[in-house]
Amino acid sequence: MPEQEAQFTIDRSGPAPVLRVTGDWTIHTIGQIDAELRPVRDMVEGRPAIVDVSGLMDLDTAGAYVIEKALDSSAAEPAQMLGKHPVAGRMLAEVRKFTAGCDALPEPVALWRQLLERIGRSMTQVYEEMIDTIGFFGETVVACGKAIANPSRVRWLPTFAVAESAGLNAVPIVMTLSFFIGAVIAFLGKTILQDFGASVFTIELVGFAVLREFGVLITAIILAGRSDSSFTAQIGSMKMTQEIDAMRILGMSPMEMLVVPRVIALLVMFPILTFLAMIAGIAGGAIVTMLTLDISPTLFFNRLNDNVGVDQFWAGMGKAPVFAFIIAIIGCRQGLNVESDVISLGQRTTASVVQALFMVIVVEAIFALIYMELGI
Amino acid sequence: MNPAGALTPILDIPDDEVAIRLRGVGNRFGDVVIHEHLDLDVLRGETIGIVGGSGTGKSVLMRAIIGLRPPSEGKIMVLGHDVWSNDPAERKALDARWGVMFQDGALFSNLTVRENVMVPLTEHTNLPPKLRLEIADLKILMAGLPPSSADKLPSELSGGMRKRAALARAIALDPDILFLDEPTAGLDPITAGKFDALVNELKETLGLTVFLITHDLDTLRDACDRVAALAEGKVTAIGPLDHLREHATGWLSDYFGGPRGRAALG
Repeated sequence: MPEQEAQFTIDRSGPAPVLRVTGDWTIHTIGQIDAELRPVRDMVEGRPAIVDVSGLMDLDTAGAYVIEKALDSSAAEPAQMLGKHPVAGRMLAEVRKFTAGCDALPEPVALWRQLLERIGRSMTQVYEEMIDTIGFFGETVVACGKAIANPSRVRWLPTFAVAESAGLNAVPIVMTLSFFIGAVIAFLGKTILQDFGASVFTIELVGFAVLREFGVLITAIILAGRSDSSFTAQIGSMKMTQEIDAMRILGMSPMEMLVVPRVIALLVMFPILTFLAMIAGIAGGAIVTMLTLDISPTLFFNRLNDNVGVDQFWAGMGKAPVFAFIIAIIGCRQGLNVESDVISLGQRTTASVVQALFMVIVVEAIFALIYMELGI
Repeated sequence: MNPAGALTPILDIPDDEVAIRLRGVGNRFGDVVIHEHLDLDVLRGETIGIVGGSGTGKSVLMRAIIGLRPPSEGKIMVLGHDVWSNDPAERKALDARWGVMFQDGALFSNLTVRENVMVPLTEHTNLPPKLRLEIADLKILMAGLPPSSADKLPSELSGGMRKRAALARAIALDPDILFLDEPTAGLDPITAGKFDALVNELKETLGLTVFLITHDLDTLRDACDRVAALAEGKVTAIGPLDHLREHATGWLSDYFGGPRGRAALG
């Protein structure tokens, strides 16, 4: 059945004004007529008004609403009906109960006020996040201390599961990326140093860059993206399904059950991954120098040994546990802060990765300063 | 046809008096058979309550009817249109003609209550924005929510209010059929009673057909014209509540005869 256009006329010739409605008045047809009807809202004055429904066809609550709106809303009695309609009377009476309420609803807040409100809210949030993270850091240190004092309380099964998923499974990606970074550094070094006739120093460049900075940094960045998001999502969804509450009630500490295994797993796996990243990075650099500079493997490794030395390896490796700890606690903390709705899960997962990346870079810079002062 | 006299799953009446018509519907998950040769006719304008033990596939049946999960076999007609037809026009004809209230509300969690109710209005109508807001508010009020809740997020509402918000969204387009999955589960008895009254009132006002899955005996008594019991993969008994109680066998007699059944139905 095709829809009939909704139409209306107002007849003021009689003692009371008559609103005559014809056609279909449903949610699909009133869109066109709303603009015409809006100016005459409340204008069909006189109490009570009369609605002529003899030409009315389909009517739903949305249609009844706009009809009722056109009538004088201050009238105490409902409008009189002229003509017959199967549902109009009941529908108008039902909708009439609520039309006043629809006006009383608050206007949406202006955009600029929403903006200001959000800025203010985020500022205080940043502050609270900082305090919270520091508090959580302390809590984790205490929990780890307890675990060290009493190793039998450590949950080894989840620890190994995390070590596999966050550590072992990350080996291919960490090594591949590191390999390419090593190769890129070698290309870069060769191109620039060639101008000074010092292209053989490419070897030292690769050694310093990979051992001291990139091996550990690449690992940290990959784990921050890979493991932090999964830690937050795992713990967060457990929070949403009240599993964490259940744990607490059963006398198990979420710190012990969820956080300590992840911290231990990363503390063990991170240095291993870093080591593998360094090997891959050096290999990438070595292959490029050998192929483009005609340097023999013996020369490459001799120079690496003499001029770079094992100090640089330890300088890089020394950062690994720190990064591991940062990544693990940020992921776990954000997970535990997830609330019962889906948005917060998304927000927390994003926050976890962003914060971890941020902290890794900041701590990297701090390390650079410390090493410089120490003369390493 | 008067629901009081409709005592068989298959009714001998023309298509246009039937809101939902199921014929030979089967559902299975792998080897597990949920429904087999299930027939059911739901009259226009009636409220039908679907009961059955856990695992009898009440929700599976509803999902098949509303087009979310294809049945393994059989034919499902809603308002004279084949839900699972390959003809897109058939399916399109049903768009916006049914409203569904899922068990946990399934409100969009990143939208406020008002925005949730406005989603179907925005999708399916060409109302001017201002009128859309007003209609959304009308539905929120009709669902029995206080005006202040319109700007809240679903996570800020209590369970009962979330159900009302979900109902407001389900009736946003004045549908012909309303599907309710466990509308009163998890509500306190007073709120549940009010919810039943609300469903009745909306049904009267909007002329709805209501397809209602429930375990709540009070809801069956207060809101349903007919009750259909699912067991052994088909509708084993159907009719007004009193008729079903008189002829209850098996699971149904346990259901009505248990302490809860006796307490609710007296």
